[in-house]
Amino acid sequence: MNYDLHIHSAFSEGESSLEKLASTAKALGYKGICFAEYYEGKNQIKKLQAEIKKVKQKIGIEIFLGFEARSVKELKFLEKIRRNFDILLARGGDLELNRIACETPEVDILTHPEYERLDSGLDHVSVKLAVKNRVAIEVNFREILISSKATRSKILANIQNNIKLAKKFKAPIILCSGALSHFELKDPNVIVSFATQLGLELKESKDAITKIPESIIKQAKERKSEKWISPGVKIVK
Amino acid sequence: MKQKRPKILLPTLREKDRYIKFQVISEEPIFYPDLEQAIWNTFLDFFGEFGVSKTNLWIIKNLYDEEKQIGVIKCNNKSVQQVLAGLGLISRLGDNRVIFKILKVSGTIKGLKLK
Repeated sequence: MNYDLHIHSAFSEGESSLEKLASTAKALGYKGICFAEYYEGKNQIKKLQAEIKKVKQKIGIEIFLGFEARSVKELKFLEKIRRNFDILLARGGDLELNRIACETPEVDILTHPEYERLDSGLDHVSVKLAVKNRVAIEVNFREILISSKATRSKILANIQNNIKLAKKFKAPIILCSGALSHFELKDPNVIVSFATQLGLELKESKDAITKIPESIIKQAKERKSEKWISPGVKIVK
Repeated sequence: MKQKRPKILLPTLREKDRYIKFQVISEEPIFYPDLEQAIWNTFLDFFGEFGVSKTNLWIIKNLYDEEKQIGVIKCNNKSVQQVLAGLGLISRLGDNRVIFKILKVSGTIKGLKLK
């Protein structure tokens, strides 16, 4: 059961509608997807949730709502309204945000930690924190897709470094397309195969698109229940 | 004059082939020459001439169905993941934006169930 938990729709910086993205994802064999949008107010959440509900019924695919924090301030705010949506992503690239995202148990995914950087954006301390707080480190396929030549080789080197670190400390790795358009969605087999070229074993690679997203979704569902208080604390009776 | 061929190698000495059946999803129809050119260019750019030589890559022309946009690529059994990864990097064929959907990987053409 494959999941892609980082897709942008036309509601944020994407080009395609929710329906087009969902139908393409279903055709490619995904069981579920997550629209990672940028927070623009309470009304936006309501509008997105209504649209997602409609598309879910029409296409027949699991759809989750996520928000991607672009700054530390935004991340702190999204933490407070965490129960209103399913998945919290932190847009990597900034060293401070990378570190804070790894320190925050409310964060589910740290997206492309090496984004627009010359280094990989992670060190052993951050990765150890990511393990402790169950923050998945993302390998973003779009970053590779839209780059070329020397830039692409640098990005690939940085991703390989992050994978090596994550494997060493057993941090969860997640594979996402990071698509902005339905044409940037990729077949799960392609993404899995690409990750094997970057240093993951085939089984690890398959887990990164099936089991890790499943555990994030399970956690997201637990978080939404009334019994949940904070990470690791919930009402038993 | 027909060129003479060397003797067929023993099964244990032969390279094991894999056939990858894929479908090209696009808004406009995709024709074989564009597809072939895009695949070779992307693979040579990304893996280099030496890297591609190890995959024993071949696009089978007469198995491309222009109507359904289904095609077959041959490679050796050790480089299936590499070839699948390479296909993911093709996002455009000429002016058309495309997605490659992997339908099946098999050891024989018959196993692909093309008909």
